[in-house]
Amino acid sequence: MNKFDDQASKSLLDKNLITENQYQEISAYRNLNIFSLNAELKLFLYLSVLLFTSGIGILIYNNIDSIGHFAILSLLLIVIGVCFYYCFKNSKGFQKQETTFEHPVVEYLALAGSILTCIFIGYLQFQYQPFGTNYRFATLIPTIVSFFCAYYFDNKSILTIGITGLAAYVGLSVTPQDLLNNSNFYNDQTLSYSAIILGVLLILWTIYSSRIQLKTHFNIIYLTFALHIISIATISSLLDYFEYGIWFLFLIVLAASSFYFYKISHELKAISLYVFMIVYAYIGLNIFLIRIFENFSFSDIWVLFIMILPVYFIGSILMFIKLIKKFNKEIAA
Amino acid sequence: MIVYDKKLLDNLALVEEANSLESAGFISKEQKNLIKKELPAFKRQSNILVRLGFFLLGAFLYLSICGVIALIGLTGSTSEHNFFNICCYIFAAIGFAGAEFLANQKYYGHGLDDAFILGALLNVGFAIAITTEGYEIQVALFVAVASFFMYRRYLHLLSLLVFCIAAAGVLFFGMFEFGDTGKTILPFVAMLASAAFYFFTKRVLHKLTVNYYYNGLLLANSFCLVLFYLSCNYLVVRELSAELLGNEVPQGKDIPFAIFFYAFTFIVPAVYLVQALKTKDRIMLWISFLAIGFSIYTIRFYYSVLPIEVALTLGGLVLFAIAYFSIRKLKENEVGLTFKPDRINNSNAILNAEALIVASTFGMKPEAKVPDSPMDFGGGGFSGGGSEGTF
Repeated sequence: MNKFDDQASKSLLDKNLITENQYQEISAYRNLNIFSLNAELKLFLYLSVLLFTSGIGILIYNNIDSIGHFAILSLLLIVIGVCFYYCFKNSKGFQKQETTFEHPVVEYLALAGSILTCIFIGYLQFQYQPFGTNYRFATLIPTIVSFFCAYYFDNKSILTIGITGLAAYVGLSVTPQDLLNNSNFYNDQTLSYSAIILGVLLILWTIYSSRIQLKTHFNIIYLTFALHIISIATISSLLDYFEYGIWFLFLIVLAASSFYFYKISHELKAISLYVFMIVYAYIGLNIFLIRIFENFSFSDIWVLFIMILPVYFIGSILMFIKLIKKFNKEIAA
Repeated sequence: MIVYDKKLLDNLALVEEANSLESAGFISKEQKNLIKKELPAFKRQSNILVRLGFFLLGAFLYLSICGVIALIGLTGSTSEHNFFNICCYIFAAIGFAGAEFLANQKYYGHGLDDAFILGALLNVGFAIAITTEGYEIQVALFVAVASFFMYRRYLHLLSLLVFCIAAAGVLFFGMFEFGDTGKTILPFVAMLASAAFYFFTKRVLHKLTVNYYYNGLLLANSFCLVLFYLSCNYLVVRELSAELLGNEVPQGKDIPFAIFFYAFTFIVPAVYLVQALKTKDRIMLWISFLAIGFSIYTIRFYYSVLPIEVALTLGGLVLFAIAYFSIRKLKENEVGLTFKPDRINNSNAILNAEALIVASTFGMKPEAKVPDSPMDFGGGGFSGGGSEGTF
C-alpha cells in the first residue's frame, strides 16, 4: 500500500477539510488491507470468452468441409444451449433500467452465447443458405439476436456487436479500426449518405428510448457510434467531393451534428463525446478555410503562410483551453 | 531542482486523494468540490483524451515554430550545410524554453508541456546523432542525461521512461564496444544490472519521505522488473544472438545455456506472480500476467504444440476455469485477497474498454461482393483477429 495516501488523508484532516469521523472510517478501511482481484479476474473471464470464440470460429472456418456439418452444428448448438441456459436461469428477466447479475460469470456467458450464435448462423448460411443468396438478410438475423441479448441481459459488449451488424446491413463497416482507416468511403461515395442516415437514426433511437426510459445507459454507446459515423462520413466527403452544392451540403451536416453533440455532451456530461466533437469540428473548419484559400494564388504568399502558422496554432490552443474550461465548469455545476 | 511550487505539488496530492475518497464514497461531492476550491492547483488535464488532444496541438505548435526557424535559417544563412548541422540544437533549445515557460505558467501534466518536453528530448537525440554521425552510445548517453534532467526539473514521468530506455541503451551499446565477448555476456550483464537497480530503487522507495518522486521511482522499479524478465527470456536471447552475432541455430541444436534460459523463461513469471500476491503489489501482478503471456508466446514461436485454433479454444477453456474457481474461492473473503471491488483503488478503467475490444474483434462487416468467396461467412468475419496466441 502506498504510505503517502494515508499521509494525504491525514493532512486533509489537519487542514480541517475532512472530519475526524471520516478520517477514522477511512483509516479503518485502509487497515483491512484489501487487495481486490475483481477487475483482473473479470478480465480473465472476458479474455477466455474472446479466446474460446475466436478458436471456435477459426476451427470451423478451417475445417469447413472436413468435419461433418452435423457434428459441428450440434456441438455449437449444445454449447450455445448451455450458455443461454445458465444466463436465463440466473437473470432477473428483462428490466428497463441498468441491472447487474449476481454472479459475474453469467455476463460473460451471455457474451459467449451471442457470439457463438452469430457464428452458428454464419455457418448455417454458408453451408445451406436458408436465406437464399440475400446476404443482407443473413446479416440481419445475428443483428436481431445481438440486440435482443443486449437488451435482455443488459450487456454493452453485445450491444456494440448489434450496432456493427446494423451498419453492416446498410453496407458499412464500423469496427473501430475500419473507422480509423476510413476504409469505407474509398470505393463508394453514396455510402456516406447511408452512413449519415444511419447516424441520424441512432440519434433518434436514443431520443425515443430516453423518453420511454428504456436502458438510458445505452445511449452513450449509440451516440458514440453516431458521432463517429456521421463525422467521418461527412469529413471524407468534404475531402473528396468537389461539386460546389453537394460540398456545401456536407458542411452544413457536419455543423449541425457538431451543434447537436455539443448540446448532448453537456446533457450527458460525457467528455469523450465533447472532445471528439471538437476535434471533428476543428478538422471541418480547417478544410473549409483551406478551400477558401485555394481560390487565391498561393505561390506569392506561402512564406507569409508559414510565418502565420504558429500564431494560428497558439490561437487554436487558447480556444481549446477556453472550451474545455467552460465544459468542466458547466458539468461541475 | 523541481521547478514547481512545492505547495502546489502537495495540493495536487491532496486533491487526488480527495477524488479517490469521493469515488470510494467516504466524502460527499460537495465536500470534494470544496476541497478543490480551497486548494490552489496546477493547470492540468486529468482526462487522458483531453491531454492527448492538447499534446497534439502542442506538437503542431512546436513543429510550426521549428518550421518558421528553418525558413529563416535556410533563406538567411550563407550555407545550408551549416544550418543543417545546428538546426536540431536550436529546435531542442526551443523545446527547453517552451517547457520552462509552460512550467512557470503552472502547466503540469496538461498535454502542452508533454509536447515540448518530449520534443526537446527527440531533438537532442537528432542533434547528437547528426554531430556524431550516428554513434549510438553517445546518442543514448546524451538522451539519458537530458531526460533525467527533464524528470528532475519537471517531474515528467514520460521523460523518466525515456531515461530508463536510454540508460538500458547505454548499457547495451557499451557492451557492444567489447566486441563478441561483450555481446555474448550481454544477457547476464543486463540481468544483473536490472536486478541491482531493482533492489536499489526499492530501497530508495522504502526510505522516501517526500512524495514528489514516488511515482517516478515506482516506474523505474517496474521497468527493472520488465527488463530483468526480458534479459534472459529464451526468445529474446535467441533472436538477439542471431541478430548481433550472426549465430544461426542449426537444426537439432540449441543455443548455449539453453536450459538456463528455458528455466528462466518459466520460473521468473511464476516468481513474480507469487511475490505479487504475497506483497499485494498490483503493478508486479500485471507484469507477471504479461510475462506469462509472453512465455507462452515464446514456446509457440519455436514449437507449434497445437494448431492455433485448438490452442485458442483450449486456452479459453483453461483461462475460464482458472477465473471461475478463483472467483469462487475469493468471493467470501472480506479482508486481504478478495473478489469484492476495492472502494479506494479500483482498476475499472480496463473493464470500460471491453465494449471497444468486442467491437474491434467481433464486429460484423458487410459481406464481400463475390458471393462464393471462401471468406464469405454470411454475416462476415466472425473469426476474430484481435487476440493472437499471446495468452
